Amino acid sequence: MTPIDDATNGPGRPARPPMTVLVADENTRRARALSDDLRADPSLCVLSIPAGTALIDAVRQYQPDVVLVDMGRADRDALDSIRALSQPALERPVALFVDRDDVELMETAFDIGICSYNVLDAPPDDVKPLLRAAIALYTRFQRTRGELTEAQRKLAEQKIIDQAKRLFMKNENTTEDQAYRWFRRRAMQTSQRIAAVAADYVAAHARADAP
Amino acid sequence: MTRPLRIGLLRLTDSAPVIIARNHGLFAQYGLTPEVVVSPSWSNIADGLAWKTLDAAIIFPPLAIMTALGRRGHAAALRPLCTLSRGGNTLVLRGTNPLDTAWPPGAAGRQAFDAWRHTLGRRPRLAVVHMYSTHLLILRRFLGMIGVDMDSGIELVVMPPADMITALADRAIDGGCVGPSWGTEACLRGLGFLVGGSSTVMPSHLEKLLVISDTIADSAAPLKAALRDAVSYCQAPDNRHAIAQDLARPPEKGGLALPSRATLATLDEKTTPEPVTFIAEDVTQPDFEWITQDMSDLGWIDETERRTLGV
Repeated sequence: MTPIDDATNGPGRPARPPMTVLVADENTRRARALSDDLRADPSLCVLSIPAGTALIDAVRQYQPDVVLVDMGRADRDALDSIRALSQPALERPVALFVDRDDVELMETAFDIGICSYNVLDAPPDDVKPLLRAAIALYTRFQRTRGELTEAQRKLAEQKIIDQAKRLFMKNENTTEDQAYRWFRRRAMQTSQRIAAVAADYVAAHARADAP
Repeated sequence: MTRPLRIGLLRLTDSAPVIIARNHGLFAQYGLTPEVVVSPSWSNIADGLAWKTLDAAIIFPPLAIMTALGRRGHAAALRPLCTLSRGGNTLVLRGTNPLDTAWPPGAAGRQAFDAWRHTLGRRPRLAVVHMYSTHLLILRRFLGMIGVDMDSGIELVVMPPADMITALADRAIDGGCVGPSWGTEACLRGLGFLVGGSSTVMPSHLEKLLVISDTIADSAAPLKAALRDAVSYCQAPDNRHAIAQDLARPPEKGGLALPSRATLATLDEKTTPEPVTFIAEDVTQPDFEWITQDMSDLGWIDETERRTLGV
């Protein structure tokens, strides 16, 4: 297992960063983006674990001060329980970071799907900036994903409308403009989206054309 | 805009009542349109309840208690709505069973354990699904029944139930205590053998209950009514095939992507010694008695907390 650490000991940076942050996100693009964001702070040594590596094994091996964890990881339970288990314990056991004074920050973090663990025997002074950076990054990814989904939906709608128009033009011997007006009128009459009317039309004619 | 009520659950057979209630429109009959959140880990369930991203969840009692007490950092105002299932946990080990049967308590069970352990050549690595699980309590009691100390006799690891199949196949673990249908699936695939489970340790123990946040107390009555109807459906032997099919569908099609053959087997007492029993009734003090006793013995809660945990 090789950690990804491509930004330590650069020019002008401290030889030994005081805080090691492990980013545990199986979404490699997001993990890289978050790591890049965090590396803007030269006081951090940022490590990412390769996809497929067990979270607990990575924590045991790299002994980070802080772990930022994508809550989609199913193996979070192992980390969550480690301090209470009697198995060969981690040398530096970790526990879920909770800021009781900033409930809104915590709720936002859990809602967006990111959480943070701290080393118990030497808790870092302030984890909140790290968590805020992670929240901002996750929010950006969620928005981008949402925009992508919307773009794909619009593309799919346009495709079915175009298909329906071609079929209508052929069946009714009309122009494209006439076909579009027919679907628009039908959508208004039935309080449906044009794409839904188009899909119904294509499905009905596919059935009618079936042998 | 008010968001829909969110119910968290994991991919397990005993999550069936909520899945059935949603898929069969039973929630809707009582004016509810909840969103079912299929969670990847028990930590997500506990955090969701503590930090209000979930309004309700299917959960086992120890984790519900520890979450309510704030042992994961933030106390959560929770209340048990009703039971959903009893029993169903399996103790599965990999390799060859030195006996032809489940392991009996006492010296005979210990002999079987020692013989099995000898074939491993290492201290057995046994998995449970979460630290604060009924599975851990059952494993500990089972080991105690055959004279094995959990702290020194095994290495305990935590992993999600669905991951145990691969971990057994890869020999990353030597066995574990896991809920339905994963233990049965391991046996059906020839990855392990059954040595005991819920019925041998604590027959008919409360396994899953539905807890709700105090903030949705107004929805408690319709939620309970819908779940009672769903449990009635789940109890009918004629519906077992349909339930297994529902649960086998992928989550995006309303299921939990469970292995259908194993799921069907866990629903029928004729095909497994550790069947899931669906039951929707009020949680009672005796349901919690042995659980809180064991939690106290393990040092998770103190005697004062135990006394205040009246249901």
